[in-house]
Amino acid sequence: MTAFFKREFLSYFRSPVGYVAIALFSFLSGFIFYSQFASGSVDIASEVISLRSFFVIIVPIITMGLLSEDKKRGTDILYYTTPVNLFNVVIGKALAAFALYAVMFVNVIIHIIVTLICGGKFGVGSVGAVIVFFFMAFMFISIGLFASAITDNQIISAIVAFIFILISQLLSTIAQYAGTAVVSILGIMKIKNAEPIGRAFNTTISWLDPFEKTKDFRLGLFSVSALFFLFSIGLLFLYFTFRILEKKRWSQA
Amino acid sequence: MIEINNLVKRYGDKKAVKGISFTVNDGEVLGFLGPNGAGKTTTMNIITGYLSSTSGTVKVNGHDILEEPELAKKEIGYLPENPPLYNDMTVKEYLNFICDLKGVEKARRKNMLDNIVSMVKISDVYDRLIGNLSKGYKQRVGIAQALVGNPSILILDEPTVGLDPNQIIEIRRLIKALSKNHSIVISSHILSEIQEIADRVVIINRGKIAAVDTISDLSKRLSGQSKILLTFRGPVTDAVTKIRTVKGVSSAVSRVANKFSQIEITISANDTSETRIAIFNLMVREGWPILELRSLDPSLEEIFLNITSGKGGVKS
Amino acid sequence: MDKTINSENIKHQDIRSHKLKQYSIGSVILLVCIVIVVNFLLDRIFGKALTFDFSDYNQNSISKETEDYLDSLPADTRIRIIAFFDRPDNVSGTPYQYILPLLDDYVRKSDGKVSVEYINPLTHPTIISELDPANAHDLSSHTDSLVVEYNGKIKVISPIDCYSFNVDYYYQTGDYLVTGNNTEYVFTNTMNTLTQGYSCKAYIVTGLKEDGSVYLKQILESMSFDCGEIPVSDNFAVPEDCDVIVLNGPNNDIPEKVYVALSDYIKKGGKLLVSINFSMKNVADGFERLNKLLNQMNVNIDSALISENNPGYQLNGYSQDSAVIVTDSFKDYSNISLLHSTNARSIRAISNPESAYKIYPVLVTSPNASTYNIDKTGNAIENSLVDNKQFNVAVLTENEETGSAAYIFGTLNFTSDEYISSYGLNDSNVDFLKSCVRDLTSSKQLNALNIATKNVDDFSIRTSHATSSSSTAVLVAFMIVIPVAFVALAVIVYSKRKNL
Repeated sequence: MTAFFKREFLSYFRSPVGYVAIALFSFLSGFIFYSQFASGSVDIASEVISLRSFFVIIVPIITMGLLSEDKKRGTDILYYTTPVNLFNVVIGKALAAFALYAVMFVNVIIHIIVTLICGGKFGVGSVGAVIVFFFMAFMFISIGLFASAITDNQIISAIVAFIFILISQLLSTIAQYAGTAVVSILGIMKIKNAEPIGRAFNTTISWLDPFEKTKDFRLGLFSVSALFFLFSIGLLFLYFTFRILEKKRWSQA
Repeated sequence: MIEINNLVKRYGDKKAVKGISFTVNDGEVLGFLGPNGAGKTTTMNIITGYLSSTSGTVKVNGHDILEEPELAKKEIGYLPENPPLYNDMTVKEYLNFICDLKGVEKARRKNMLDNIVSMVKISDVYDRLIGNLSKGYKQRVGIAQALVGNPSILILDEPTVGLDPNQIIEIRRLIKALSKNHSIVISSHILSEIQEIADRVVIINRGKIAAVDTISDLSKRLSGQSKILLTFRGPVTDAVTKIRTVKGVSSAVSRVANKFSQIEITISANDTSETRIAIFNLMVREGWPILELRSLDPSLEEIFLNITSGKGGVKS
Repeated sequence: MDKTINSENIKHQDIRSHKLKQYSIGSVILLVCIVIVVNFLLDRIFGKALTFDFSDYNQNSISKETEDYLDSLPADTRIRIIAFFDRPDNVSGTPYQYILPLLDDYVRKSDGKVSVEYINPLTHPTIISELDPANAHDLSSHTDSLVVEYNGKIKVISPIDCYSFNVDYYYQTGDYLVTGNNTEYVFTNTMNTLTQGYSCKAYIVTGLKEDGSVYLKQILESMSFDCGEIPVSDNFAVPEDCDVIVLNGPNNDIPEKVYVALSDYIKKGGKLLVSINFSMKNVADGFERLNKLLNQMNVNIDSALISENNPGYQLNGYSQDSAVIVTDSFKDYSNISLLHSTNARSIRAISNPESAYKIYPVLVTSPNASTYNIDKTGNAIENSLVDNKQFNVAVLTENEETGSAAYIFGTLNFTSDEYISSYGLNDSNVDFLKSCVRDLTSSKQLNALNIATKNVDDFSIRTSHATSSSSTAVLVAFMIVIPVAFVALAVIVYSKRKNL
C-alpha cells in the first residue's frame, strides 16, 4: 500500500500535474475567499462548501492517470507479479490523490488564519464543513479512480470521471426531470397513481444526491449518516476498482 | 524450483496454451524457445501470476501461484517483454519504489541496490530519468528491477529483443553471471541465443511443447539439418547440377537474386563447414565469383518440422 | 484421445473462471445492496438522532423551553406547519436559512406533535380554502409565508417576523441588517397561543404619529396577549375585553374624545402602559390632554429633557444617553440594577388630594441630574434649568380601590421598534418591560413561555482590516501570487527533470 501511495503522491510533484492542480485549487479557493473578504465577512464553512463545485474539474485531473497510465505503459504488471495485495494497490493510489487534496487544502487553512487575524470567526460549525469536504473528496476520488481503471486512455478516464461527478452533482435536478417524465409516461399509459409513483421516483433518485445530503453542513448541522453515505459510496467504488483489476484473473478476453 | 503441470490458457475460443508441463530445476538455466505467437509470453505471465491459467497448476518452490500468491511471487523476479518502467522516474527513484513494492527492509536496501547496480552496470545512469535512457540501459534497469528482493528464480522474457549486437552480448554476459546464483528461465525465438546460455531447452510451438532437451542433445539432433546460402555470378542450371555433385550436399534450390545476373542457391548439407570448403573450391575451379557464402541457422519452424515429423521425437 | 482432453479442458475452464467470475460479480452486487440498505436504514432510523447542531448559536435546534412545552402537550396534539412554497434546495443565504432547519428540529423532537409540509398554493390552490375557509387571513397574498395550524385555528408567520433587524439602518438604506434570530421565539409562542389560547387582550392606540409597535406586539404576543389596535377617531371607544391600553411613543396629544373615553376607562379600573420620550418630533406638543388624564392618576409628564450629570451614569459620554437606576421595590424585575434610557422626559409625581392613586418611582436618575426645557428650534429655554436632583424616568401609579394602574415611561427604550430592533428581544430593558406588564395584568393567569431569541451568525471581519487595500492584498496574494508560484514550480520541475 505504502509503495504505490508513495510513488503516486511523489509523482504528482515530479510532473507538472500536482502543481497545476494545486495552482488551480489555489486560484478558485482564492477567488471565493477574496469575494467574501471584499464584502467584509468571511464564512469559511460557506467557502469550503462552495469548493465542492470544483471537484468536477480537479478530481479528474488528479485521478485520470492513476491506473490508466499503468495499463498503457505495461507497468500494471507490477500489481500482479510482485507480492503486493491488489486491494492495497487501489487504496494506496486513492490515498495518494487524497493526500494531494489535503495538500491543496493548506490554502484554506491559510485563509482561516488570515480570517482569524482579521478578527473573523471560525467556529465549530465550520469544522463540520471541512470534515464533510474531505469525505466528499474521498468519494469523488474513488469514483475518479474507478474511471481510471476502466480504460487505458487518460483522456477517456478524465471524461468519464467528469461525467460521473457531474451527474452526481446534478442528481436532484435529474431526479425532478425523471419524476416528471415518469408521471407523463404513466399518464400516457393511463396508469392510475402516476403522481405518487413519479414523486417516489424523484425522492429515490434525489436521496442518492451527495450534495443534497450534505448541504446543511454549511448551517452547522453535522449529520453522521451523510458522512457514512459518502464514505461507504467511496469504499464501494474502491471495491469496484479492485474488481476490475482483479478481472484479469478470470477474464478470457 | 518451478513445477508446471498441464497448463491451459484460453482466450475466448482460442487456446493460447494447450496443456504444457515442465519443471525448472534449482540452479539451472532453462531456455524457453518458440516462434512468435507460440505461447511463450502467456506461459511466463501465468508462471509469474500476471495471468491466471484456465486450468493446470504452477508451483514455485512448493507455493501454488494461485493459492499462496504472495509467497510464490516473492521467489520470482520477472522481466516481461516490455520492462515495467516508469519513464517519469529516475533509476534511483524507480528501484527504491520496487524495493517498497517487494517489501525490502530499509536496512538491507542500500546494500542490495549497490550490488544490483554494479552487477547490471547502471551506476552511471543511476540519477537519470528512465525515459531518457537507451534501449539497452532500459533493459538493464528492467533486469535490475527483477533482481530486487533477491528472488531465487529469474524469468526473463526475450531480454535481448530489439537490442543492438553489442548490447546483446552485454546482456548475455550479464545473464551468465546471474546464473551462478539464480535459476533462470529465459525465452527467445532465436535458437543460437539460447544455445549459448541455457543448460536445457523447452521448445514450444502453437501452445504445445515440441521438445524438452539438453542443449547438447538438441544440437546433435539438429546436426545434418544445416543450410548454406551461396550468392555468385554464373550460369544457373549448370551451377545447380554441379553443386549437387559436391560431397555432403543433399539438395540445392536456386533463384535469380537480381538483374545483375546474381544467383542465390540454398544448399542443404550435413556438415556445413566441410561442404562450404568444397563449394568454394568448386567456384574457384569454374571461375564463378562468389559474392556471399555463409551457413544458415535453421529456422525454428524448420526445427519444429523436423522434430515433429518424427525425425527427432520428443524426449522428456 | 485428443477430443477427450479438449472437453475436459473446457470443463476445467468453466469451473475455475466461472467461479471467479460469479464470485466477483456476486460480491459486487451484494456489496451494492448492503451499502444501499445500510445507508437507507441508517438515514431513516438513526439519521435524525445522528444529526448534531454544531452551529455557533444552536441556530438549528430548539431550546429546552420549547422541548418542555412540546412535552407538556397531550400526545395526540397535532400542530401542522404549512409552508407556502416548495422546499428550496439551498436555504443558505436566504431568509429560510434559520427557519427550515429549525422546523426540522421541531419535527424531530416533538414525537409527531409537530409536522411540517411544503405546499405551494400555485400548484395546490385548494390548500388556501382548506386552511382559511372564511378567507380571514388573505392567505393568497402570503406566498413566502408559513402557516401554523392547530385545531382549525391558524396564524401566519412571514419569514421577516422571524428576525429582528435594525430599524434605523433600514430607514437609512432600505436594506435589512439582521440583528437577531427570533425564529424559535416566534414559532413556539405562536404554537403556545394556538394551543393555550390568549390570556389577555391589549389594545394599542394608533394614529398619534407614533413610531410603530411591531416588536412590542411580538413581545406582548409572546406573553400570551392578543394585540389589537384602536385608531384614534371620532367614535373612539375602549372595547369591553380590554385588559390594557397601550400608548407607545405618541408624538401628538390625544384628542378630546380619546381623553373622555380613557378617563372613563380608568375610573372603571382600567390599566395603561404609556411611554413617551423627548424628541424633536414632539417637543412642540405639551400633551395637555394626556397629562390631564394622567393627573387624575397623580402623574405628570413634563416637557423637560433629562440630562445626567454624573459621568459614571453617562453612556458613551452623552448626558442624554444614560444608565437609570431600578428602584429597590422593582429590583426583582431585573437581573441588573441599571437599565438604559435615552432622551428621557421626567415623570413627575403630583399630589392631587382628590385622587386615591399612589405613586411608585420605577426608574430614577442619579441624584446629580438636571432637566431643561427646549423650544421648537432645539435650543434650551433660558432659566428652565433644574439642577442637582433625582428625576423619575418611569413610575407606577396604582389605585388599590378600583384596581386601576399605569406604568408610565419617560423613554422609548423599553417599547420602541428602534430600540428593540437594535438590542434584540432578549435585552434587559425588554425583560424589565415584560415584568412590568406582568405586574400590570397580574390578576390574569398568564401561560406565557420564556423563549430566548438567538444571535445570527456574524462572520464579519474587523472593519479596520476590511479595507479596499487589504482586500486587494488578498486578491493579489491568493489569486495571483500563490497560483502563479505553483505554475512556476510546475515549469521549473518539468524543465529540470526533463533533462535528467
